[in-house]
Order: sequence, then structure tokens, then C-alpha cells
Amino acid sequence: MRRLAALAWLLLVAPVLAQAQAPAPPQAIPPPPVLAAELSLNRIEVTTAFSGAEILVFGATERLIGEAGDQVVVLATGPETSMMVRQKVNVLGFWVNGASARFNRVPSYWALASTLPLPQLLDRVERSELRLGLAQLPLVQLGAQGGEFRGALAALQQQAGLWVDRERPIEISGGRLFHARLPLPATVAHGAYHVQVMLVRDRRVVARQELRLDVVRSGTAAQIADIARGQPVIYGLVCILLAALAGWLGSVIFRRN
Amino acid sequence: MQVYLPIAEMSVDALLLLGIGFGVGWLSGLFGVGGGFLLTPLLILIGIPSPVAVGSGANQTLGASVSGLIAQWRRGNVDVRMGGVLIIGGFLGSLAGVQLFAWLRSAGQVDLAVSIFYIVVLGAVGALMVRESVTAILRRKRSRPQRLHEHFWMHGLPFKMRFRKSRLYISVIPPLLVGFGIGVLSAVMGVGGGFMLVPAMIYLLGMPTAVVIGTSLFQVVFVTANVTFLQAVQVGSVDIVLTLLLLAGGVSGAQFGAAMGTRLRGEEMRALLGALVLSVALSLLWGLLKVPEAMFVIGPVT
Repeated sequence: MRRLAALAWLLLVAPVLAQAQAPAPPQAIPPPPVLAAELSLNRIEVTTAFSGAEILVFGATERLIGEAGDQVVVLATGPETSMMVRQKVNVLGFWVNGASARFNRVPSYWALASTLPLPQLLDRVERSELRLGLAQLPLVQLGAQGGEFRGALAALQQQAGLWVDRERPIEISGGRLFHARLPLPATVAHGAYHVQVMLVRDRRVVARQELRLDVVRSGTAAQIADIARGQPVIYGLVCILLAALAGWLGSVIFRRN
Repeated sequence: MQVYLPIAEMSVDALLLLGIGFGVGWLSGLFGVGGGFLLTPLLILIGIPSPVAVGSGANQTLGASVSGLIAQWRRGNVDVRMGGVLIIGGFLGSLAGVQLFAWLRSAGQVDLAVSIFYIVVLGAVGALMVRESVTAILRRKRSRPQRLHEHFWMHGLPFKMRFRKSRLYISVIPPLLVGFGIGVLSAVMGVGGGFMLVPAMIYLLGMPTAVVIGTSLFQVVFVTANVTFLQAVQVGSVDIVLTLLLLAGGVSGAQFGAAMGTRLRGEEMRALLGALVLSVALSLLWGLLKVPEAMFVIGPVT
């Protein structure tokens, strides 16, 4: 029924919009601007003074945000990586690393925020389709099997502040303006981050906007990391020379006669 | 003041690093050792990944030893020939050590291996130092004539070489082996190895004490340079920002420590250093024995 209603609504609205933007061809009808969202920054620079940052997502909805009206869900994901999870085992009284599982396609950063707890907004099927929830992440587990490895990965990533799923409330002002702050800890990976802003109406996602954020290493930190990775031989020699020079210089400066 | 370490890929308080550098430098100046064996465990303790702690620890030891080497060289206390033989052994040892380290890292056992190396080596050295210095304190009044050095099976080995400065005519095999062993330890533990090299030179090789410090610094500088290079190329774990911050604190601390050290007596100092070494070993041992806070650890795929 809902689907039908939405379709009927679209059919009704579409001609009006098409007329409003007369030169556009009739097939490429732009969606009604029910949602507009933006990031305060499109680029976060990791310099040697970097100690974490914040993604500020803000925007406005067409209708009022509230119990009966629109709801907003924000999902931010960082570049995918692979990780090892190792279990501690006791061997002869010593705690050592035992069985290990390798996870592929792990989002290095993952944060979710919504105006209401998600189960109240969307059905289970829809949540898993949109991968809204840590349990819905499509992780590939190799090596040791068992759910405890996956659980440990989620717990440790959350502890490190890299996976944020605390139903952080989105703040609303004036009924239609919203903003959400997603914390980025100092240990974030660099690369492309995607922020999806979804508008939920009647337990369905009716509009979606995808925003992009680049976390880049910049300044001295970036140069050092690039040289260390790209030119390890030169980097190694420079490290030797710099350390020797610093040691010699320090002893000259601090010499106590 | 937070500073981002580009290789460790984390933010650390710069003042904390300067403080650690100063403290370790102060102790190393006081006791006349490199201090790498204190530095690497402390770095691991504050959350620096073991490979970065080891790689940068070796690099820091290089810097901290340079000024000492220059001073000893000026006084003519370096036996270049003996140092050369030790360095050849040390290069081979550190080459093998870095291979071992890279293999341990891919097997996911590098934390454990670094801890075990520290516990065994520091435990043994600390216990020996405490015992030796306590006996020396008890026997202080009694002095007995000593030979230049004892002769035993080692002196029957082939490939003899004359080391003029050390007044020795011995086989090159023992110094090569000593250098090799220190090289392996340097690569796996991120230390210079002076705390083991000095006793080995005195008791095993029979070198006169006057040239021991200079020659060991000579070996330490070149072997830690080699470890720095190999760790940077093979493991990619040398963080120059970390190294320089530690050196800034360390070099100033060492001067204060050295000034204070001249007021302490040799035996008491060795007993104190032995106790310090033992306590580092015990705290690492405790780290392996106590029930971990988290039963799982995560890390990057290597």
C-alpha cells in the first residue's frame, strides 16, 4: 500500500516539477528536494599536530522532523582494510597469541547516527539491505571461524572509537534543520570517506544523499610517510644521519664543563 | 601537546616522549649505558607498536651513542681493529636478527618474542650484575693480584690476530661470535647491547677496561645504524619523529646523569643498575603472566 501511495505521489508531483524546470528533458526528472545535506569540511588534513577531528554533517528536510514526520539517518564509512584478530591463549602460564582470523573488507571507520533508535525507524530487512548496523557489515572471515572473533573485532574497534554505534542523537533546530557530529579519533586511516544521509518517512528511505570526505596526510607527516614507503633506502640513510647529527648537536649544546 | 607520529600512525603527547627521553637519558648518563633496554619497553608500555618501538629504539641508541664515541675517540680509547671484527659479526647478526623479526611479525608473535628476549636477557644480566657487585662490595677491602686475563679453551682456536691496542693475540672467532650475538639482540630488542657487550669484552675476550667503553660504543654506533637501515627497508618501522623527540630529551638528560654519576661509587652503581635491569625484566614477565584485559587483539595484516 505504502509503495503504491509513494508512486501515486510521485506521479502527481512529477509533472509539476518538470514544468518548473522547463528546459530539462522529461526523462531526467530531478527528485524533489526533500533532503539537502552537506559536510562542514570536504577534506581533513592529518598533520604532525593532528589529534583527531570531527565530521559535521548538516542539512535540512522538506517536512518537519519528528515522531510523525521525517527522520534522518547518517552513516559514515572509511576506506576498507584487512585486519587480523588474534585470540590470547594460556600456554604454560604465559598468555600468548593463539588462533587468528583474518577479516577482509573491514571499514576502517564506521559511524551511525539517527534521530530515533534505528529499530523504530526501519524494518529489519531494510536495515540489513542498507547495512545499517554493525551486525549487518559484509565482513569476509578467513582462518579461524567462530562468531567470537567478529564480536571481538567490533568491540575493539568501538573501544578505539573507530566504529561508533551508540545511536548518537542528531540535533534538530527549527524543526527542519539537523546536524550530527561524528568523532574521528587520531588513529583514523587516510583515504576516501563516504557519508550517506538518508531521509526516512513512514519506515522507508525516501531520499538519500551521498557526500564524500577525504582524509589526507599532509605537511611533514605526509612527506615522511611517503618517503618511508616509497624510498625506504633513502629514508633509512636519512634516519641514520639525522639521529647521529641530533646526538652530536645535543652533546655540544648541553655539554656541562 | 599532541604530536602525530607518521610511521606509528598515532598521536602521542610530545611532552611524554620528551620526558621518557630525558628520564632514560638521565639514567644512561648516570650508569654509562645506552639505555635502549629501558626505552623500548617503555615505548611499548605507552602503546607504541612493538616494531616501531624496536626500530626507533635502535635509531635513538645510535644518536645517543655518537657523542660518547666522539669523546672516546679523541682520547684514543677505541681499538679500531677489534671494533672492526665486532662490527663484521654485528652486521651479520643484525641481518639475521631483522630476518627473524620480519618472520615473527608475519607469524603474529613479535610482541611475545620481544618480551621473552627482554625477560631472558635482562633477567640474566641483571641477576649477574647484582651478584657481582654485591660480592665486590663485600670484598672491597681485600685485594688480590690478578693476571692480565685467564687462559682457557677459547684461546686455542685458529685464525689468530693481533690487537695492539687491546694487547691481545687471540682468535677472531670469539669476537665475531660476540658481535653476532649482540647484532641479533640489537635487531630484535632495539638496543645497542652495550650492557652485554662490555662484560663480554672484559670477561670473555679479556680486553683492558680502558679501551672497552670506546670500542663498545664504536660497535654500537655502527650496528644500530645497520639495524636502523634494515628495519626501515624491510619492516618499515623506523619513526624519525619519535626518534628525534626521544633524542631531544635523552641527550640533555644524559649530561645531567653523567654529572651526577661521578659522585657515586662503582660497585653501588652497578648494584643499582642491576636492580633496575632486573625490575624491567620482572615487569615484562608480569605482563605475560597476568590475565590480559582483552582476550583478543587486533592488528593490521602483515
